[in-house]
Amino acid sequence: MSTESMIASSKAARWPATAKRDTLWDQIRKNLWSYVFVLPMLVLAGLFVVYPLIASIQITFYDWNGIGNPTRWVGLRHFFTVAQDPLFWNAVKNTFTYALVLVPIQLTLALILALVLNNPKLKGSTIYRAVYFSPVVTSAAMVGVVMTLLLGSFGTDLSVFLVNLGVMSEPVDWLGSPQFALPIVITVGIWHTLGYNLVYFLAALQSIPRELYEAAQVDGANAYHQFTKVTIPMLREVGAVIVFLAILGSLQVFDLVLVMTGGGPFFASEVVSTYIYHFAFTPTSVSAEANVGYASAAALFMGLLVMGITVGQLLAVRYARRNRVNDA
Amino acid sequence: MATNTLTRNLRINKMGGQTSRLFVHAVLISLGFLYMYPFLWVLAGSFKTPSEFFSSGPSLIPNQLLWDNYVYAWNEGHFSTYFVNTIIVTVSVTLLVILFASMAGYVLSKTQFPGKKIIIGGMLALMFLPGGYTIIPVFDLVQRMGLLNTLWSIILVQTAGGLVFNTLLFMGYFATISKEIEEAARVDGANLPRTYWHIMLPMAKPMVATVGLFQFMINWNSFWIPLVFTIGNPSLRTLAVGIYAFVGENSTGWTYIAAGAVMSIVPIMAVFFFLQRYFIEAVAGAIKG
Repeated sequence: MSTESMIASSKAARWPATAKRDTLWDQIRKNLWSYVFVLPMLVLAGLFVVYPLIASIQITFYDWNGIGNPTRWVGLRHFFTVAQDPLFWNAVKNTFTYALVLVPIQLTLALILALVLNNPKLKGSTIYRAVYFSPVVTSAAMVGVVMTLLLGSFGTDLSVFLVNLGVMSEPVDWLGSPQFALPIVITVGIWHTLGYNLVYFLAALQSIPRELYEAAQVDGANAYHQFTKVTIPMLREVGAVIVFLAILGSLQVFDLVLVMTGGGPFFASEVVSTYIYHFAFTPTSVSAEANVGYASAAALFMGLLVMGITVGQLLAVRYARRNRVNDA
Repeated sequence: MATNTLTRNLRINKMGGQTSRLFVHAVLISLGFLYMYPFLWVLAGSFKTPSEFFSSGPSLIPNQLLWDNYVYAWNEGHFSTYFVNTIIVTVSVTLLVILFASMAGYVLSKTQFPGKKIIIGGMLALMFLPGGYTIIPVFDLVQRMGLLNTLWSIILVQTAGGLVFNTLLFMGYFATISKEIEEAARVDGANLPRTYWHIMLPMAKPMVATVGLFQFMINWNSFWIPLVFTIGNPSLRTLAVGIYAFVGENSTGWTYIAAGAVMSIVPIMAVFFFLQRYFIEAVAGAIKG
């Protein structure tokens, strides 16, 4: 796409030009409007996206409470402290637990639902699709509030009920329990964003040529074989992208955790983003005062980790794509 | 929907017939009800009295339609302010992103100028860098610019956050529009801003709609940026942040919180159900592209 557009635009640009080669200054002067048009985007992205990326690296070398200029240079000390802080690694562990539990369950459920809804004979599938998609349009913060209210209202009754059934030995305070806090947040997370993956899978299923199924049927393939021999291989490429987006999205979980548990109880559901938030903006028992330098170091640490995963996944997507070309 | 005549559903294929289809519908409807239950429950809860809220448990039918919770949340709970703030931020960011991203996307796709390749390369590189971890320098910058404790801080930061990706989207879209149309406009003597405003932007309506819909949803729901930039000034809170703060400050006023949550959820849900086909097509388009 981008190469095509470049070719198209270079032709367009040459059209008013004369035969003789323009100097750089001439080219700039002729295209003043172009610069005016990219300027708002460049200025805003430069100020609030690019500059912070660079500055966040610089801040990591200072002890700084976020007020005035950072003055106390500490070199790489924050990185060593982060690497040695068991609470940071606890947050990393929880973040990855969140992603690695949520993604497979959510994607499996979304795929099953997509297969059911993709049946052309099924009436009203558009309505079902809209219903299952609807939590997606609500913010994670609001979903967290609603779930907190729900558990607060009859969570205790539910817990007593489960004890009477013999499922649990004693009543629990759901979000206040170290064993249940993170699993509950994960469950809510699965419910909240499943709709995205449902729509992705539906789009992917609809792009599979029906001739493939017809051919498979002629060859005597039953529904199960059609699924394993046609659907799954045809989904591999888009599926890799779906997995990629789901992992990336869930590693950045913040709102849901902050609203539902605040990372507690006793850091049982603390994820990296809430860990950073606590250090940078709301000093708690963990740190007496805000340490922005330290928080930035933790953020950069996690950012590099996520970037590594991004690159790894992109390579995996590419591998899946190449394999498919080889198969074809 | 697909015109596929072959069913891909294992269960229906095996059983066939009317009963199995009814069974599938029964399962889908029950699941759909469970799926919507939290929203229905909070809607019912917003009409309950505080004691009823706790005693009636999972019930979806309030004893009466009590509007007091809404009145309290709107006035005493400052939700009127939060509502207005949310609308200002959402509308401003959505319009600014559409305007700036389409302007940049247009010239990056249709004109050739020194530095263009560097800009495109830089934007593509930014797509691979993880966002969300640079809030501290952003906060510092906003503070130095004297914009802290203004709605402008939220508007500018969120606009900037949406620009790179959406500029790339517009760039791709404008590249598909044939250059003859634009050339004709130039022959007629229209300069670049006129060509953009009267010819190119109207032609990009589908992309304007997609970007607008997504930006509206993202900004209505945004939490992290408004949270950080309103720490020092509660009167600038948006709905999402306002309710979060309300939960902390008013841990007993649960029915008010329910009313506040409904006020925040209903507008975006209404927009969604009204335009659901476009929403879903836009999401589906993202994975196909």
